[in-house]
Amino acid sequence: MSLRLKFILILVLAVVVAVLAYPREDAIFQVLHLEKKNSHVFGVRQGLDLQGGAQLVFQADFGKTPASQRQTAMDSLLAVMTKRANPNGTSEIEVRELGSDKVSISLPGERDVKDAIDRIGKTANLTFVEVDQSTGAQTPTGIDGKDVDSAYADYDPTRAQPVVHLQLKSGESTKKFGDLTTKLSQSGNLLLALLDGQPTFGPARTEAITDGNAILSGNMDVNTAKKIADEITAGALPVPVTLVEQRTVGPTLGQESVQRSLVAGIIGLSVVALFMLFYYRLSGLLAVLALIIYTALTLTLYKLSVFVPGYTIVLTLAGIAGFILSIGMAVDANILIFERMKEELRAGKSFVAAVETAFDRAWTSIRDSNVSTLITCIILYVTSSATPIIRGFAVTLGIGVLISMFTAVVITRTFLRITIRQSWGRNPKWYGVKVPEEANS
Amino acid sequence: MNLIGKRKIWYMISLVMIVPGVISLILYGLRLGIDFRSGQLLTVQGNVTIDQVQKAGVGLGLQDVQVVPSGGETEIRYRDTSPQNQHEANHQKLKAALADQHIEELSFDSVGPTVSSSIARNAIASLFLVSLAIVLYIAFAFRNAPPPVSPWSFGFMAIAALLHDAFFVLGVFSLLGHFLGVEIDSLFVTAILTVIGFSVHDTIVVFDRIRENLRRDKGSFEQIVNNSILETIARSINTSLTVLLTLLALLLFGGQSIRLFVLALLIGIASGTYSSIFNASPLLVTWHNYKLKRIEKARLAPKKA
Repeated sequence: MSLRLKFILILVLAVVVAVLAYPREDAIFQVLHLEKKNSHVFGVRQGLDLQGGAQLVFQADFGKTPASQRQTAMDSLLAVMTKRANPNGTSEIEVRELGSDKVSISLPGERDVKDAIDRIGKTANLTFVEVDQSTGAQTPTGIDGKDVDSAYADYDPTRAQPVVHLQLKSGESTKKFGDLTTKLSQSGNLLLALLDGQPTFGPARTEAITDGNAILSGNMDVNTAKKIADEITAGALPVPVTLVEQRTVGPTLGQESVQRSLVAGIIGLSVVALFMLFYYRLSGLLAVLALIIYTALTLTLYKLSVFVPGYTIVLTLAGIAGFILSIGMAVDANILIFERMKEELRAGKSFVAAVETAFDRAWTSIRDSNVSTLITCIILYVTSSATPIIRGFAVTLGIGVLISMFTAVVITRTFLRITIRQSWGRNPKWYGVKVPEEANS
Repeated sequence: MNLIGKRKIWYMISLVMIVPGVISLILYGLRLGIDFRSGQLLTVQGNVTIDQVQKAGVGLGLQDVQVVPSGGETEIRYRDTSPQNQHEANHQKLKAALADQHIEELSFDSVGPTVSSSIARNAIASLFLVSLAIVLYIAFAFRNAPPPVSPWSFGFMAIAALLHDAFFVLGVFSLLGHFLGVEIDSLFVTAILTVIGFSVHDTIVVFDRIRENLRRDKGSFEQIVNNSILETIARSINTSLTVLLTLLALLLFGGQSIRLFVLALLIGIASGTYSSIFNASPLLVTWHNYKLKRIEKARLAPKKA
């Protein structure tokens, strides 16, 4: 590839990432008819510690589940919890398996954590029980929540109270329920519906219901009826769960953190830029330009990851620290090259030779040293499935290391090569080098 | 400048930096946060005293209550002894009872014992894995190192330098824990691992130059190492400066909740720069001389027999 072509490609890349990284990219997404799904800082997905919310970890008790059925039980546990946590499937709520026996749920923006814990962690086991009218003895009927297809809350004008409609599954379930209610209506025994052991209907008389449409009525208000209907629809948890971890971040902390980190990032970037300009002069300026492209490129990558489900980069506070840290590191590769270039110039080499030798010699150092940081990032990533904060840090630092190698070796190099081909770009003073008189002549 | 000749001074400085922390580690250990020992942590904006918290928590079954102010915030730590499904209710009650202290909740964390033990296991596993992977990687990267140094000594000296940095940070946090009540959490482990990664990053740059010069230059091993350090010292210091400057910006202006994380990174990376210049490469020389002496002894020994 010719130098000129490379330079043009870099300029094109710079313009594209600058436009995408610019905070008001929403308008662009709109023009392209891409749906904006999430709340953003600069369009980057924010973690719980930044936007506030709760992370809950439930431990499943598989004590009574045969080992062969554990995976099935886990899958249905995840399905039910997802339905409960995210009934419409629209929000950023995330439910995932953690280890072999835990479920992690992140609820961004959740304010009523107590309610969320109750709602999600409840077993919600619906059972129907036959109650003998004279002795009060209870016998299970073998009909439970699994026989119910759906439930919804309604207001019943004839009873003048809120009720829960049950739609039983057609076929076997409807028939079983029909047989039971027919038997009860003839014997005069009572029907009792229990949700997690708490009566939600009865014990009361029932008529024969053979069409699979049942109504639970009792002393409930609209909210209770709605809650019960939701719980029955989502289904029972296949195994009992306990809450083993909870992390809640209030709304103020997150907002403050975002602003503070932003300020810290801008100051950090400016100080590094000033240092590079002061110490490395012209080459420092080229490095700063490359650094700005680096920053925009990284932000663009964060943003675009929103469209890759499962690999979306979620920016946490530690992740921002990782990003800011990577700015400091991004110049490391440049410094290695520039120091080497100064050495070669001092030794009396021509500019072209000095630049090429500097890149060749510095490359092994750049590669070997960055690999050690990458190893750390990879191990952190692998061992941190349970701790999103750490994973966020590992991801941003790792991406930073990779992109910074690219910007240093490709972008800075191209800039330098072009500059030293200009007559004004060949003054040693501009690179912070005092070339001995005799070497110059 | 002869840096290698003064290596005993550099080792002494390292000892002076590390020994107090290590003594503190032996005497007091580290103050483990709820990530490792399970429990509850409520962070609020504003000030409350331990008496107020204890009064507010009467009847809730809270144990080991600690109240630690930091900046304008206060950390309320306790262990809720009631069943796990009541922890959130108790947290709400405690908050309600403290309502007239003009505090605002910033965050609340509750970690159960099964979770904390798995976090601790993961932390130890990742520390071990990172160290192992790095020795193997350096030995691999330096497999063509010309004599007199074996690839493995590069690896082990890099490990010595990274242990130096890890223990320095651990020691400082042990002292902070004992005197200021600072607790370590899983982010702290991340900081240690990052420091380790950086320490090796720095060390490799110097080693790389030693390798290059060993191929080219004539002269004693000591001289070559010394020249290599001098040739790379500007780069080492400048790189660390840029990283330390960004971290300093984060420490001064960044969010409160990662301040300790940034502090751990800051002192660890500063220590990493020192150890890569003044420990790792001089240790190569010390080790080389030690081996020479042993060979010499072995040559003399049979004569005595």
